[in-house]
Amino acid sequence: MKLALAVLMLCTMAAAQTPAQRAILAAREQIKKDPGKSPGYNDLARAFVRRGRETGDPDYYRQAERAVLDSLRLEPDNFEGYKARVMVLLGQHEDAAALDLARKLNQRIPDDVLTRGLIADACMELGDYPQAETQTQWMLNLRRGNIPGMVRGALLRIIFGDTEGALDWLTSAFRLTNATETEDRAWLLTHIALLRLQTGKPELADQLLNQALEIFPDYYFTLDALAETRSAQAVDLLRRAQKLAPHPRRLFALAVALKKSGSAAESERTFGEFERQAVRISTKPDNANRELIFYYADYAHKPPEALRVARAEIARRQDVRTLDACAWALYAGGQYPQARAELDKALKLGIRDTTLFAHAAAIAEAVARAISR
Amino acid sequence: MFQVKRFVAILMAATMIPPVGGFAANHRSAPITALDHPAGITDWYAFVSYDDPTKVTFIMDVDPLLEPSNGPNYFPFDPNVTYTMKIDNTNDGIEDITFQFQFTTQFKAPTLPLGFVGAGAGINGPANAPASLSSPIPVSGAVIPPAITSLSGAGAAGLNYSQTYSVTMITGTGATAVSTNLVPAGTTLYAVPSNVGPRTMPNYTALAKQGIYNLGNGVSVFAGTVDDPFFIDLAAAFDSLNFRSGSSFIGTGGVLSANQDQNDSQNYAADSLSGFNVNTIALQVPISMVAKSSASPVIGTWAATYRSAQTIRSAPSPITTSGALQQVNRMGNPLVNELIIGVGSKDTFSMSQPNDDKQFANFALDPILARALNAVYGITVPDPPRTDLLPLVQYSGPTIPDGTPAGPVADMLRLNTSIPPTPQSARKRLGVIGGDLAGFPNGRRVSDDVVDIALRAVAGAVCGAPVSATGKKTVCTAAGNPFAGTQVPALGDGVNTNDVPYQETFPYVAFAQSGYSRIHRNAGDKTCAQAAGCPAQ
Repeated sequence: MKLALAVLMLCTMAAAQTPAQRAILAAREQIKKDPGKSPGYNDLARAFVRRGRETGDPDYYRQAERAVLDSLRLEPDNFEGYKARVMVLLGQHEDAAALDLARKLNQRIPDDVLTRGLIADACMELGDYPQAETQTQWMLNLRRGNIPGMVRGALLRIIFGDTEGALDWLTSAFRLTNATETEDRAWLLTHIALLRLQTGKPELADQLLNQALEIFPDYYFTLDALAETRSAQAVDLLRRAQKLAPHPRRLFALAVALKKSGSAAESERTFGEFERQAVRISTKPDNANRELIFYYADYAHKPPEALRVARAEIARRQDVRTLDACAWALYAGGQYPQARAELDKALKLGIRDTTLFAHAAAIAEAVARAISR
Repeated sequence: MFQVKRFVAILMAATMIPPVGGFAANHRSAPITALDHPAGITDWYAFVSYDDPTKVTFIMDVDPLLEPSNGPNYFPFDPNVTYTMKIDNTNDGIEDITFQFQFTTQFKAPTLPLGFVGAGAGINGPANAPASLSSPIPVSGAVIPPAITSLSGAGAAGLNYSQTYSVTMITGTGATAVSTNLVPAGTTLYAVPSNVGPRTMPNYTALAKQGIYNLGNGVSVFAGTVDDPFFIDLAAAFDSLNFRSGSSFIGTGGVLSANQDQNDSQNYAADSLSGFNVNTIALQVPISMVAKSSASPVIGTWAATYRSAQTIRSAPSPITTSGALQQVNRMGNPLVNELIIGVGSKDTFSMSQPNDDKQFANFALDPILARALNAVYGITVPDPPRTDLLPLVQYSGPTIPDGTPAGPVADMLRLNTSIPPTPQSARKRLGVIGGDLAGFPNGRRVSDDVVDIALRAVAGAVCGAPVSATGKKTVCTAAGNPFAGTQVPALGDGVNTNDVPYQETFPYVAFAQSGYSRIHRNAGDKTCAQAAGCPAQ
């Protein structure tokens, strides 16, 4: 009876754990058994990276980095250790460094599929979409229908404006993903929901986000998305997410939501807090510069500040979101042709995004007005 | 929406395709190909036809190690794979002509449990046959159809599972390519099934011969299951070069005696592929169809397999293209992917094009195999860079006419079609290094012993040999001292010939071994292709 209870308790505990937590436990067990070898530490590093994504807590990346150091101390040339380091760098938004290391690993073992995926991830973050496409296509060429290839391909299809194609692959990836991979499944559902929202199906998006929260409760990523489908509850949802995974980026979204809900004073306070925090991390890789640009352009009415931040950020990365933010800073500063040129760089990729289209319309109107004067 | 942790690096960690492993073996060249047998190219041959020097024969073998008795469905070609033979006749490593083959499967009687069944004139249900479920009367008529004596029509009642195929010639590449259907109207090409056994297929040779089709204009084609023409001590080769050192060898395993080396019809170790079949596509075409001109007789050839591609970019609207293909595997020279390309690059090699092979040049210029031979056998090998091996990957060497552009480094099987075939009695298994210019690496015949040739070439056997038709020679050094190919011992696996005789006429390979009576030779067995038995050593 006692044994049955113990087993039941263990099973309950295991069920309550997330995939990353289970992976952390398993890696620690492996390290206990074989403390002198690198694989356990590599597993631990990967598990911490997963946990970092599950929680949004950057401390897990620091723990992952320590595990990588342990791994490389034991076996200085181990390939998997360096791969784990690339994952850590990506989690910390050190995208250029991640890309540099991943490329070196790719030269060493061109056939390693995950390394190709890591290059694609870094390239997408930095806005090198042709290279991201090359690497992702290679993954799909190697084997049709592999989940990591399809997921990255779906994200690229969004950039290239093939929303239906992206939905197709994300849905396929969801169906193929093991039920125990709860965070992966919630992540996929959230992306699918965001695309449904973009295509004018907010009710369906809401259902999908609910489903995601059932699979992985209190997932900050899903709560953020839900705030977009439920404007009346946006403030509460964003507060909840901010409590779970605090980040200056979300403070901006919260301030905007507060303003929309009529809480002007609280919105002002939140904007102020956002600016303080965002400025403090502005030169760091994991920053809130895009939000800071929009804040200076639309709320603080400081176009020169918006442009200053935009120029610094665009020097770091040229992804579609940064191009859009930069274009908006130029627009706010009255540099309409330059704004149009910047946004065109994003739009010519084919992306169909309501925010970008709205910005493009405003910029085009301003250009036309300027010409007619 | 603001973006949070978008990266997908760790996503699907549990379902990620497994990292490629270290497996490689002759007939399963790259990790991914090892998982895709129907698309896995085992061997590629190109030679001037023995019995008609105005024609060239191409043979592409796929799907390795087919056990002849492995019923009931035996060995179909994969209808989802596009099989191709490619010819470069402009020395740039890019195909100018492609022959493409596509298979289709038919089931005549889907309720029958067997794909191939038959006996004599057919076996009827006897008087005591049980009643059928759908009828109260006993089953009458043929329970077992008549033996299979034909690929279609009468005599093919028991050929329940059959495959037909198309042959298309594509000239050029990309949007300007021109496709020509080589199959005459009204002709159906049947793939020859495996040799199930004497009851089901009482005259298999006659049945297989029906699978040789003359398509007109001097073109012949054959597709089906045949005896695997390749011969090798696979087990020893991939047991870290653990060649046999039994009583038949003198001294060290892996080094043949003079007698052994000169006997091209006897084996001194077991042919690991003995008794195994393989799927083959053989095509014979006039040389004038593939060579640029009689003044430019050299062609570069390779085989490639494709599956439909899954592309990130969708088709344009309106849809103007379809059927995008992705290369799964390729083969030009034998054993390149198996013995030269590093295990971490094998899939990349399989999926890339010959004219991009510069990326793999270091594998050839400093081959690990040479270092392994040095380490295992203690023999002296040349210093890198191994420019003596360039003739294998460029248009150069003693069989290439002077003035031929060398072209890029590209793994292709090059064939000077103006060199006439060597009569069977004078043919040498060692090809060019054995003094027989009609053999490998001037193309590759089924009887060429590419294992022994490759071992010796990698060990430096062509150092000091002519690299041009006018006699320009390669220069090698070992530890800084002059090195000549004559220093290389007679390396070999002890398997000098196939376990069954080849044919001297198209398709040149032996027809499939019988599932009922196949024999796999064991280690230590002596085998030879002579009906009278093995000659004394």
